[in-house]
Amino acid sequence: MDRRAFLSYNAAVAAIPLTGVALASLTEAASAAVRPAPVDFTSNLPAPGSFPKRWICGSSSCMDNTDPPVQVHWYNPHTAILRQNKAYSYEAPFAPLYFGNDRVLLLDEGFVQLRNDWDLRGTVDQCIAEWCARNGRDPASLELLVAFSHLHADHYAATNQFADRPNTRYMGLTHEEMVGFWGMTNFPEERVRLDLGGREILIWGSPGHVVSEFAYYDSYTQILYTGDMFYRGRCYISFWQPWFDSMKRLIAFCDTHPVSHVMGCHVEISKDGQDYAYGMTYQPDEAPVEMTVQQLRDAFAMAQTITEPGIYFTGTVFLCNQTRGTTTIDKNPYRYT
Amino acid sequence: MHGYYGIPYIMSEDYDSRHGMSGTRLSTMPRPTSNITIAQKCNIDIFLVVRTEFCRSKSILGNSVAQGSVYNPALSGNSQSATGRAYPNGNPELGYNPPGVRNTDSAVPLHRSKPVVHDYACDGPAPGALGFRWTYGSNVAARNRDPRVQVVQYNEDTFVLRQNVCVHWEAPFTYLLFGNNGALLIDTGATATPAHYPLRETVDAIITRWGQARGRSKVPLTVALTSGEDIAQNQGLAQFAGRADTTIVPKPLPVMQRFYGLQSSWPSGTGRIDLGDRVIEVIPTPGTHKDGVTFYDPYCQFLFTGDLLFPGKINIGNDSDFIASLERLKAFAGKQGIKWLLGGHVEMMFVPGKYYPRFATYKPYERVLEMVPALIDEALQYAREVQGKDMMLIRPDFAFFNGVSPDQRTQVWPEGVPNINPPRPF
Repeated sequence: MDRRAFLSYNAAVAAIPLTGVALASLTEAASAAVRPAPVDFTSNLPAPGSFPKRWICGSSSCMDNTDPPVQVHWYNPHTAILRQNKAYSYEAPFAPLYFGNDRVLLLDEGFVQLRNDWDLRGTVDQCIAEWCARNGRDPASLELLVAFSHLHADHYAATNQFADRPNTRYMGLTHEEMVGFWGMTNFPEERVRLDLGGREILIWGSPGHVVSEFAYYDSYTQILYTGDMFYRGRCYISFWQPWFDSMKRLIAFCDTHPVSHVMGCHVEISKDGQDYAYGMTYQPDEAPVEMTVQQLRDAFAMAQTITEPGIYFTGTVFLCNQTRGTTTIDKNPYRYT
Repeated sequence: MHGYYGIPYIMSEDYDSRHGMSGTRLSTMPRPTSNITIAQKCNIDIFLVVRTEFCRSKSILGNSVAQGSVYNPALSGNSQSATGRAYPNGNPELGYNPPGVRNTDSAVPLHRSKPVVHDYACDGPAPGALGFRWTYGSNVAARNRDPRVQVVQYNEDTFVLRQNVCVHWEAPFTYLLFGNNGALLIDTGATATPAHYPLRETVDAIITRWGQARGRSKVPLTVALTSGEDIAQNQGLAQFAGRADTTIVPKPLPVMQRFYGLQSSWPSGTGRIDLGDRVIEVIPTPGTHKDGVTFYDPYCQFLFTGDLLFPGKINIGNDSDFIASLERLKAFAGKQGIKWLLGGHVEMMFVPGKYYPRFATYKPYERVLEMVPALIDEALQYAREVQGKDMMLIRPDFAFFNGVSPDQRTQVWPEGVPNINPPRPF
């Protein structure tokens, strides 16, 4: 498949306005007879769900870590949140897995590439199998969309594990392929709707941390997933103006849509606001991954006052304005006079 | 009988027992098999890296020639060194004993009635060899299965221990030195939990084994730190609490000064730790830590510099102290022969000026541990350059961080140093 063909053969076929009855193929129609009733993702919103009190967060000695490589937390019966073990990678990103009647969306993947080091594919397959068993579906009938929030290796490293998975589409690793995957023609302003089968995901551009970044809103749980441009930790803002514009878009979205939680990809901060330095593999007292809309608004209010590069703490997140990656607020503890 | 190709090779405990031969040719004593049991009982992975320099006899060579085929080292399955290629079975023209072997115990009688007294007096540094590479962690730290404490025997009386990178990213080095009257442990690692970092068990096993080889039932141990406040070096100290025949150098700076007899002469004087014919000198070297000291071993001619000067990111605690300490080391090096500086960590890569970030658990391109004494001069020169300034400075073998975050980065690349980017792992 050449590049042009790839860009036209993308997940946009599932996105509005191309989705719906027009897409229903003969095979789907045939299997519909034996399917149980579809899950209703549109009433009683937001769907209730819960985050764990405490995520698995590494251990003082990495090689003695016996936790599973991927922690799977079912936020509610149709939403799983995966997290990489800190002893497998210090990045330990979170990865939501949204189930719809026709498709499953995996966002982000963790910072280990090889399947024999870190079997993300197996874990995702197992989650899908569990969900299908609970809902009387055939896993083979579900399409898996493997996407990521932005173009950084800790979010796409494991993509190749899904390369040979049947009924799977995964996002390419260039800006054009990412934007094309969602069928966007006007990045970052355009907001597209992805239909997972009764469950809609709203997607729009959210550059600033990097150029190629999206925000994802799940209309079922009403979780706003903001990637690395806004998360509880050090938001490395590479490009201030695009980031500020993205924040404006997020605030405007929150003004018009109900949002239950704002969720980023990482946690790099403790409950009492202590910074876990870049690369740490043990965060025994880490803050929850979910944030409130108010915290997002507070950060935006503070961002409006920022004119200089530097590190600013909003009370929830560190805004690292145009400091270079891996910068922290650490000091040498042994300094003396 | 194979395996003696006159090259350094790694020999593990079970390699030894499989081949039924003595692990080290440096000692002619029968191998005390009970030691293996001790090590196995303690469930310690001990790697002994032993360099056997051309120490095989002609008769063994004769045997392999008599087998009629020409030995091709490239096909042997053994890794070959440059010298091994020329003389795969050792150079028969060389004497049985390598130079300096008179400093070792290779000629002590097999059945002794009293403890061996070693002659530590020697011209020049005592011979020995360090491994070229250390265990360096793994891409997925949770799946690392390397020994928790890597033990390298430099020579019969000198051991270098390294903490596994995947137990603690600081991966500090710990040194164990023996003299006729006792042993000295320099630094104790970054992890207190014995289950994660069995330093005490490892040290006990080495001391027991060494004591048996020397015919000693009691080997008093002194535990000293290059800095009492450095949590990357003092955590293992707790494991030695209550150990019999053990002196632990006390911790707060004034008490430590009293212990070394330096209360009036800190930092210009020197203290002594007498191990029995091997007197370790204690040189006050504050600068990265308020209570920093450097140890000098006149037998191997090593300076154990801890955090003060090591191939890595040197976080200067006080720049004028740091410079004064380097000047003291330089003056010391002018009086005493120094073979190598051995620091507490390795953070540089084997390409110049590149280093691993903090918390890295996978360091496949580590620089070697040892530093030549000329680096004191270089460190001094560039320490003066950063004095009074909040800045970092990169040199090929170390990087200075003065008054800045340990995560500080710089665009300034040292002049004349090739800028090589090593390949990135997965």
